[in-house]
Amino acid sequence: MKNWNYLTLAGVVLSTAAMGCAPSATPPATAQSIVDSAYVVKIEPAHALPVGDARESAKDDEEIVLVGRIGGSMKPFVDGVAAFTIVDPKVPHCSKEEGCQTPWDYCCEQNQVKHNIATIKVVNGETKTVPEDARKLLGVKELNMVVVHGKAKRDAAGNLTVLADQIFVKE
Amino acid sequence: MFTRRYLPWEYGVRNLLRRPTRTALTLAALTTVVLLVLIVVGFIRGLEKSLAVSGDPAVVLVYSINAEVNIENSSIAARTPDLLAASLDGIQKRFGIQHVSPELYLGTRVQTANEEQSGLGLVRGVTQLAPLVRRRVQLTEGNWPGPGEILIGKLVAAKLGCAPEDLAIGQKLTFEKRTWTISGRFSAGGSSFESEIWCRLPDFQQVLKRQDLSLAAILMQPGADAVDIEIFCKERTDLELQAVSETAYYASLQKHYKPMRMLAWMVVFLVSGAGIFAGLNMMYGAVAGRIREIATLQAVGYRRRAILISLIQEGALLAAAGSLISGLLALSIINGAAVRFTMGAFELRIDGTALLIGCGVGLTLGIVGAIPPAIKALRLPIAQSLKAI
Repeated sequence: MKNWNYLTLAGVVLSTAAMGCAPSATPPATAQSIVDSAYVVKIEPAHALPVGDARESAKDDEEIVLVGRIGGSMKPFVDGVAAFTIVDPKVPHCSKEEGCQTPWDYCCEQNQVKHNIATIKVVNGETKTVPEDARKLLGVKELNMVVVHGKAKRDAAGNLTVLADQIFVKE
Repeated sequence: MFTRRYLPWEYGVRNLLRRPTRTALTLAALTTVVLLVLIVVGFIRGLEKSLAVSGDPAVVLVYSINAEVNIENSSIAARTPDLLAASLDGIQKRFGIQHVSPELYLGTRVQTANEEQSGLGLVRGVTQLAPLVRRRVQLTEGNWPGPGEILIGKLVAAKLGCAPEDLAIGQKLTFEKRTWTISGRFSAGGSSFESEIWCRLPDFQQVLKRQDLSLAAILMQPGADAVDIEIFCKERTDLELQAVSETAYYASLQKHYKPMRMLAWMVVFLVSGAGIFAGLNMMYGAVAGRIREIATLQAVGYRRRAILISLIQEGALLAAAGSLISGLLALSIINGAAVRFTMGAFELRIDGTALLIGCGVGLTLGIVGAIPPAIKALRLPIAQSLKAI
């Protein structure tokens, strides 16, 4: 009888483990933005690179998918056009609970920000930045996590700009 | 028969002249109150005007992103202006010269030749491109500075707290351990530049042992969009720059000085309140001495409303006279007087708005101050009032 109990227990443990190892049937993340824009996609683009990694590996004119958090300065958005900066998610930011009124400026981590920041320009066609404020066009705000699909532009100083055609608002 | 009968206009005027000492004292008090209101409103208007005209909508300031709103804390690479000029479209260009002004800006102790104590002055190291971008600046006297020479703004004497003669052309000023000779004077349409000292950029960099700049001021072509400069600053994250239109920069300073303006408006309110109470006190005294006269007027058939209007007329006349005198004094003595404050200096400004507020407060004092004592006197029974001493 005691052996039967052990066998039952082992069976339950094994079946639970087997269920845990089964391939996940989780659907891809869907967009958080409520804005109906041609540039906002509902399904997260795959194989997104954090900004810091992308700055090391991305080449000029290469197609790229980047993930980052909107911020990097007190004013990460450019007023009147769809352009903003994003910072690698690994860089920590302050919170409003700590008394910081503008946590998106990463004031405590400026040295890290330098090497983990990219500029996003939502472009209409090849290189023309969309003349509409990104906050309105994409329904985003500071510290939103976004996944961006577009073309990388590099310069001699190592700066990374993405001419974006798709934005997925993750959180 | 008596329903529409009012006291003659001359009655009120003559009443004022019957008691010249009391009238003169009341007039002096009203004049003082209105003058105080005009001084405070002139201060607010002067500060607002100084900040409002300092910004040129066609000028964009590029400075360090780490300086937040304080350009004095900014440090950018000396090559930045050339880089901006080479990379951006839309910059004003005439005769092959792009209108980009490299500037080094600093607050420092400045000592005049005749005074032992030094005052805090604002010094801007500039090149000959500066007047092309700072379009309000006009050389009013003397010449553009050569090596070791400086230009003096119209309000520098107020800022330093020294005599204007100490800043005559040819006089010497000492700052940053070097003595400079004044080569000329300039005005800038009431903007904050008027409280600044300008010298040659290389000279200033040399004495400060600095090779960097504080900012680059860019004049845009008519219709050109400053957004391109903002995008450039965002893309060149290695340069750590930010671009702000000059009007937006001074608007942010306006916000910075909001508590000061609020305090000044509170002073206007308190001075006016104190004036109303003083006026009430005087009018109570004036009416108390005329109870028999008021009762007599009622006895001969004048309605209370007619007597009330006559008393208000007296108060309004005095207040109008006081307001006029204050306005004249303010325009002749206070208007244009220089005031020193942290960011520089500005002139008190007695403009139409200030006069309207001052005279409005004055007339309100006269009218509101006359009503309560007049009503009190009119409420007394006629028989009792006629026996009053």
